[in-house]
Amino acid sequence: MQERDALLKKKVESTVEVIPPEQLKALDEIIDKYAGTTQNLIPALKEAQEMFGYLPMEVQRKLSVGMNIPAPHIYGVVTFYSFFTITPRGRHTIRLCLGTACYVKGAKEMLEIIIRDVGINVGETSEDGRYTLEAVRCLGACGLAPVMMIGEDTHGNIHPPKTIGILDGYQ
Amino acid sequence: MVTLTVDGVKVSVKKGSSILEAAQAAGVRIPTLCHDKRLIPYGACRLCIVEVTARGKTRTMPACFNPARDGMEIATSTPALNSSRRTQLMLLLRSHPLLCPSCDAAGDCELQNLVFEHQIPDLPFARQSRYFHLDNDSNFIRFNMNLCIRCGMCVRICEEVQGQSEISFINRGMNTEVSTDFMRPLDCEFCGQCADICPVGAISSKWLVGTGRRFELSHVKTTCSFCSLGCSLTLEEKDQQTVYVNSSHDGPNEGSLCVKGRYGWTYAYSDGRLETPLVKKNGVLTEASWEEALDAAANGFARIKKSHGAQAIGALGSARLTNEEGYVFNRFVKSVLGTANIDHGGGISHLSLTEGIAPVLGYPASTNSIREIRNARVILLIGADLTETHPIAKNEIIMATGRKRARVIVIDSIKTKLTERDGIFLKAPVGSESIVVFSMIKTIMDEGLFDKASIGNKAEGFEALLESLADYTPENVASKLGIDVNSIREAARIFAQAPTAMILLSEGLYRDSSGVENARAAADLAVITGHIGKESCGIMALGEKANSQGAVDMGLTPQLLPGFALLEDEASRKKFDSLWKTKLPATAGLNAREILAGAETGAIKALYVVAENPVDDYPDRLQVEKAFKEAEFVVVQDIFFSSTAKLADVVLPACSALEKNGTFTSAERRVQTLRPSTKEKLGKSDLELFELLAKRMGSAQFTYSSPEAVMAEISKCCDVYAGVSYDGLGANGIIWPCKDSGDSGASILCQGGFPTGKAKLAPAGPLNAPVAKDGQFVLVQGVSKFHSGSMSMWSSSLIQVCPEPLAEMCTADMNTLGVEEGNTIRLTSETGESVRLKVKWSRRSLPGEIIVPCHFPSLKLNSLVKWNEPLVKVKVEKA
Repeated sequence: MQERDALLKKKVESTVEVIPPEQLKALDEIIDKYAGTTQNLIPALKEAQEMFGYLPMEVQRKLSVGMNIPAPHIYGVVTFYSFFTITPRGRHTIRLCLGTACYVKGAKEMLEIIIRDVGINVGETSEDGRYTLEAVRCLGACGLAPVMMIGEDTHGNIHPPKTIGILDGYQ
Repeated sequence: MVTLTVDGVKVSVKKGSSILEAAQAAGVRIPTLCHDKRLIPYGACRLCIVEVTARGKTRTMPACFNPARDGMEIATSTPALNSSRRTQLMLLLRSHPLLCPSCDAAGDCELQNLVFEHQIPDLPFARQSRYFHLDNDSNFIRFNMNLCIRCGMCVRICEEVQGQSEISFINRGMNTEVSTDFMRPLDCEFCGQCADICPVGAISSKWLVGTGRRFELSHVKTTCSFCSLGCSLTLEEKDQQTVYVNSSHDGPNEGSLCVKGRYGWTYAYSDGRLETPLVKKNGVLTEASWEEALDAAANGFARIKKSHGAQAIGALGSARLTNEEGYVFNRFVKSVLGTANIDHGGGISHLSLTEGIAPVLGYPASTNSIREIRNARVILLIGADLTETHPIAKNEIIMATGRKRARVIVIDSIKTKLTERDGIFLKAPVGSESIVVFSMIKTIMDEGLFDKASIGNKAEGFEALLESLADYTPENVASKLGIDVNSIREAARIFAQAPTAMILLSEGLYRDSSGVENARAAADLAVITGHIGKESCGIMALGEKANSQGAVDMGLTPQLLPGFALLEDEASRKKFDSLWKTKLPATAGLNAREILAGAETGAIKALYVVAENPVDDYPDRLQVEKAFKEAEFVVVQDIFFSSTAKLADVVLPACSALEKNGTFTSAERRVQTLRPSTKEKLGKSDLELFELLAKRMGSAQFTYSSPEAVMAEISKCCDVYAGVSYDGLGANGIIWPCKDSGDSGASILCQGGFPTGKAKLAPAGPLNAPVAKDGQFVLVQGVSKFHSGSMSMWSSSLIQVCPEPLAEMCTADMNTLGVEEGNTIRLTSETGESVRLKVKWSRRSLPGEIIVPCHFPSLKLNSLVKWNEPLVKVKVEKA
């Protein structure tokens, strides 16, 4: 439990200078569309995330100034919804089910394999930008345990040693 | 009014009050953890649940946000309610660390008190700890989110009252914490309201950590000595040392304080405090005994008076003096020194506002009280950047524009925090604010929106005003000043048609000298629209220093005697002649500017400066310095070794506002008590010094035993102070005019008529708007919220937050000049004086403007500024 808390509590590294100012200009369109009321913040954030793939500090700051919404408020919304992320995501999101059924049928081994061979833990993105690993509680397909989703595709009845083989199908 | 029963006690409250407020009125305590009267009810803690019986049905509901209705029967403490409260508290304790022995909130922790009250010995479920790191990175404030109970009071007060929104809830569920975006250190007003309102120890003042438990501290209730809003302070002391400052929630400021009030008091402990008198010997200031220094001062004045006459002496007082000191200083100068050459605040500052208001309304003061601002529907700010100058008055506007949806019209040369609120921003160059106001009056008259019913009965001079406004058509003014003509019209309409509208003016030593015009225009506007003499209407003139209003009341000017009596009026002079047993000069003396000009040319030989620092604060530094060097004999009486004191012949150390008794009169005319802390007193109080000097100069009349005795004399000779006595001041003071000892004062002036019968509308002057030439920048002498100048510069805590002056510029100008943040620039005035400082980007600055805080003596900004030239034009270049 302590480890989990420590993981969740890991201080967010600031991502200053990741996005060049020219690219940030693209945000002006979103700001023009949504500026005016605080209620439009979530659609604006959604579109910004679609544009950049994630919501780093400078994107949030620019939205804050442009939409006249305090930056702490935006950050509060971003960290509240699991949909939003403040770190870059891989091209493919792996959603590995760690629910009870999957866990006993080998999801734990799958997680260990991914940690060892791909080199990413839960919540992390591989260095080559291919995968982001997420752990989920249940995908509602316990009959197919262990289950893993990659992007929109669902893979069931996985024999743990074949995990990497499945991942190789996604470049 | 609605009538209901709370625990068997019958109580009537205003319609719209909550059940909680009704219970408080009935004297019944309902426990709460997320409620404060300054905040919008939130209903998070569920401890205030009560059983409400109405129309035969009994229901359980939170008391904080349900309105009280007629005939309700409320039970606040039944076994079921108490059991529910116990469960709530247990759930809070589940993740709240029980490290109470090491927590600095212990003894003053709402949660601890409630757990004790409900006697919870154990939890029926397992505890779960959270592991947040201790955030010590911010100035003044420490976050320990492990202790947070997520009541949200800090987040709400930051947004709803302060208008800052610097902190927010981040993450979710068990991991929710209060922090900034990306957990950066705070970069806000540092008002400390979040730490003050936190019911537990999650957000606390760093200074308190490890210094003392709350119950070990002794309390001294006094009044803040920074700006003129008169916030009450409680000095929390241990071992004769102030360790912490907070404010009583029952005071006029409802417990809110700004950074200066809460953290600025360290000036009293500064190394720069004067302790020993200094006398100039062989051209060098050397330490001397009190006897020697006082003799030197008294002999010096006597010598000049004998050889050159009393007219060769000039005295500069300050709005930092208490009422009693101001009164005795005025008496000392006008009777013992025998000259009417006395002024304060450079003769500009708050004095100029009152000089504009007085001829129109009859009182040289604000007409309403600060707490009425929150209920006004429209608020007009004239050159008032309240976020920086009067943060607590800004809170009122935040509350009005936030929850009450009021609109704010800002007439200013720069964008302020308040231009972001709902309303209209009319950009007027420095010194031409009054032109915009007169243009609004013109629009109101042309469109017939003025108070037709009563204007004839209540005011005179309507035709003359109309005639003088011929040039002030919105089109003309708009084209001259570059404002949108429709904005002026719109502003005029919403101001005139609002049910309640208030005008706020603010002026400091550092603002331009157009205060009289601004105040006159504001007074005309209030009278024309009928927004005067009513609640949440009228004019507020917010002075810069703690006793700005009191200094005017005590007549620290060349023309006035205490109580607004005119020196040139024979009857008033006679009255004071007999009271002071003297012969007062029959004509008005020189004002601050003339005194200094006189010293420069040799007409004034001696200067007596009390609690004022003209060298750093007055316009035209070079002239002021020359005046002090040319003057034959200079006595400076101050708490610090200021730039002016360095040029003196005798320096007398005075004690600070934390070390003396007295009263201050706030901007809302509230006479409030100043009480000394238990710390060691440095120097002598200004009152003692005046008495000692008077005695040495042969006057036996100055035998006041205490400030209380002075106030007894003030109440005899000033009509508006007639009922003010120390016994009657109580915790929150008395608002003048106060006729007799039973009178609690009138918070609204001109109610039902003006003291002079009718208001006298002042005509506008000729329209001439100052403009800068191409390529020139307009220097806006800004105010930093962390500083007020004379005292804050010596406060280690305020210097820590704002250590150096930075020029604020907008992106366009920075690009044109090719400068980046942190570069050094040089500002050169038209006469060739220049200063150098670093630049920063700011949203406040508009193209062609450069905002520079004017408090820093090291910058010598006042050398660029000339008397009576509101628009300061400078050349800006990269250095």
